[in-house]
Amino acid sequence: MVVLNFTLTPEAASKIHDLLVCLGKFNDTVAIEARRERFTFTALHPAKSAYAAVTLHGKEFFTNYECVPSHGGPDGRFTCSMYTKALLSVFKGRLFDPLGRDGAIDRCEVSVQERENETQCRFIVKMVCNQGVIKTYKLTYEAVDVMHALFDRSLAKNRWSMHSGAMKEYIEYFGTKTEKLDISAGEDGRCVFKSYTEKIMNGKDILKHPLVTAVAVNTTDFDDFSVQAGLHIVINVKDFKAIVVHADTLKTSLKALYSQPIRPLQFSYGCDGLLCEFTLATSGDYAAAPPTPTPAPQALSSRNTSRAPSTVVEREETRSFRSDMPPPAQPASRRDGSGRLRNPGSRQASSVAQAPPVHHNSESLFVAEDEDETWAPLDYEKEETLGWDASANHDASAFPTFKDSGNMSRTSTSDSNQVFEPTQRVSQIKGLW
Amino acid sequence: MDDHDPPVLMAVSSSARQLYLLLRCIAFSPKAHVQIDEGGLRLSVDEAGVMEASVLLDKSMFTTYTFNAPSPSRGSQVADSDDDEDEELEPSTTAPTFQISLPALVETLQIFGLTDPATSKTSWQQNTSYGAPSTSFASSNIFGGMNNLCRITYSILGAPLSVVLTEASIRTQCDLTTYEPEYTGGILFNREDLALKVIMRGSRFHDAVQELSSTSPETLTMIAKTAKGKPFFALSSSGTLGSARVEFNNTPRQPSVYRTPAPTNRAAANADGNGTPADQPLENLLETFLFSDPGTVLRSKYNFSRIQKATRAMSVATKVSIRIDAQGVLCLSFMIEVEGGGSGVAASTAAAAAGEGSPKHSFVDFWFVPQLDEDEDGDDGEGGDIDETMMQSGGEGSDMGEDEDDDILS
Repeated sequence: MVVLNFTLTPEAASKIHDLLVCLGKFNDTVAIEARRERFTFTALHPAKSAYAAVTLHGKEFFTNYECVPSHGGPDGRFTCSMYTKALLSVFKGRLFDPLGRDGAIDRCEVSVQERENETQCRFIVKMVCNQGVIKTYKLTYEAVDVMHALFDRSLAKNRWSMHSGAMKEYIEYFGTKTEKLDISAGEDGRCVFKSYTEKIMNGKDILKHPLVTAVAVNTTDFDDFSVQAGLHIVINVKDFKAIVVHADTLKTSLKALYSQPIRPLQFSYGCDGLLCEFTLATSGDYAAAPPTPTPAPQALSSRNTSRAPSTVVEREETRSFRSDMPPPAQPASRRDGSGRLRNPGSRQASSVAQAPPVHHNSESLFVAEDEDETWAPLDYEKEETLGWDASANHDASAFPTFKDSGNMSRTSTSDSNQVFEPTQRVSQIKGLW
Repeated sequence: MDDHDPPVLMAVSSSARQLYLLLRCIAFSPKAHVQIDEGGLRLSVDEAGVMEASVLLDKSMFTTYTFNAPSPSRGSQVADSDDDEDEELEPSTTAPTFQISLPALVETLQIFGLTDPATSKTSWQQNTSYGAPSTSFASSNIFGGMNNLCRITYSILGAPLSVVLTEASIRTQCDLTTYEPEYTGGILFNREDLALKVIMRGSRFHDAVQELSSTSPETLTMIAKTAKGKPFFALSSSGTLGSARVEFNNTPRQPSVYRTPAPTNRAAANADGNGTPADQPLENLLETFLFSDPGTVLRSKYNFSRIQKATRAMSVATKVSIRIDAQGVLCLSFMIEVEGGGSGVAASTAAAAAGEGSPKHSFVDFWFVPQLDEDEDGDDGEGGDIDETMMQSGGEGSDMGEDEDDDILS
């Protein structure tokens, strides 16, 4: 039997609404993890390219918080997942209204009904409104194991922070349909946020939305800026926008932490007992040190190979990082004289040729060797196997060749060039190129 | 020959908008029954015999309303058919009844709504002498263009219903075909034998129904009881994602302790907000609560999607009267404020127009047949469970309403 009861002020309930709106942009379900002292909403992007966690501190955020998990002792937890839409229909906007108009609530009481002597398990939210109206919602939930992305802060040498209000002004310049955001630190004391769209190969539709927006910000405008000069890191614009918009509702500073492309990047912010952490998969130029002035738009479905023998361009659809498998090594036989393969259908061949982009998968989003206690999994037998599910997210299944190697051990990804020698499979299909 | 007889109905309204707003509330059916008598035009629609709605366009909404009962000899055939239907309402059988296409009528009435509001309003206000209360429409851009003269004529039995709209120099005449009335049994609602009568603000009812719609339910359950002499009324529903329930208690609440403390940095804003509602006089949530059998719990189920068809009326109503008779038939009466059309003479001066423009009330009524519990066990389990959790989850900090809730049910 689980005991989970908490009470929210109207203001806190309104914050729950805001965070649900934000998490709803990552996945249509949101997972809940309740512990004795804290309550966490998490959302994992279906492509596992982004992980969002909002932790609410039991004493600070809630008026009243009580959680006694059914098992696990002091470290026990209660986990479930629900439709974000269902929760949003309960935690509507305008729950907090200083004038106390209709729709405003007086307080919000939440409890979980999970008892052995009852047939129904429900997540019960009771909105007590002014003047004697009580709205009670009983939502179904699904018992799930909650996964957490691991992020090693000790390795994240690059960091910056900026007030969300300023950042929100910048994101308004990004095209609505752009997909990627390149964050680069120049050597001229400026940081450039560039949104662009990769070339899309969809039948004859090539080159949609060629809008590129670059916002250059003086590093002195940041609260804190410490990034290796010339480093480019690429994330999804949509994720970034969702994060910034939510951070702006809290009027806090947005902090970014990252090490290098293909390693995860973490945004964090929070106040008043609410802590948001977003761990995002990144792409970009792995050999980042040589400053590439403009990282070329990533050519989709092309078999660009890098000069570094250990990397291979993954086919990336809009947001689906082929992260369910480690990149196989590039067989030397596939490389032609120019160091890259023919780029079929690319009309941006010139820029691609100048700086062949190197894209890694982001297996490393779930770092196994994590020392960060905040994210250290409780139950290592279960949680340490948090790798990418090899069977899922094969929407980019047009390349079964690579899928064959999909269940390789994650631990080997750090130096894949050693582990994955040119495989016979790839060389077998060499003729295709 | 017919030309010598005065038309059965000749009604002039200075604002098609009022008629449009009212008729829109019941515009969920292709055909509407129209019944004309001395008091006004009554339009009613029904759906599958389990839901009915009707609106009365009272004669006070028209600047001119002339009704001449058709002579029985002339319209004998039609009048005969009327006999069956309207006997209880109009024993004299002189009230003509026919069907028309309701969407066509509604669209007709908003013909001028499609014109540019700014230009049409200006020309109206400057060039005409009808002097409609212009202030009433100043705030409404959408319907600003509908501030015009509307004349409804029904010359003889069997003739088309003619709607003439005049705006500035434009005159539009629409003849709507009238159809023979169909015999509809009508929903028998016994207003003498009520199980429950609740009157509350329309916006609260609207809000509650909207709230329940988030669960995409099939049925809406109304629950009423008297707990320790205090009224309790609730709407509940359940769908695939869960269930929702909105309760109304008449317990005046003390300002909550949860709004005053300062757990966060924005306590100041919170405290400010707290002051305002406390200053307002506490109104009774349920303005009227008449419950015939206080010892029991009333539980009545209705089709949610049908109730939702009254949403438009709910959204504009100032008050709603919820009545359930002993058979479980539900009658929702929505009181909607309209601006009176005033008399022709009075409306010609601006001052009189302002006086005539003061709100009057019009009523839109809906009747719903209840759903019977086919699966008694399942329904009871469901319903009982809702209350049960209220009891258990209410916990220590529960309010009065809940405690009473528990007492009644346990």
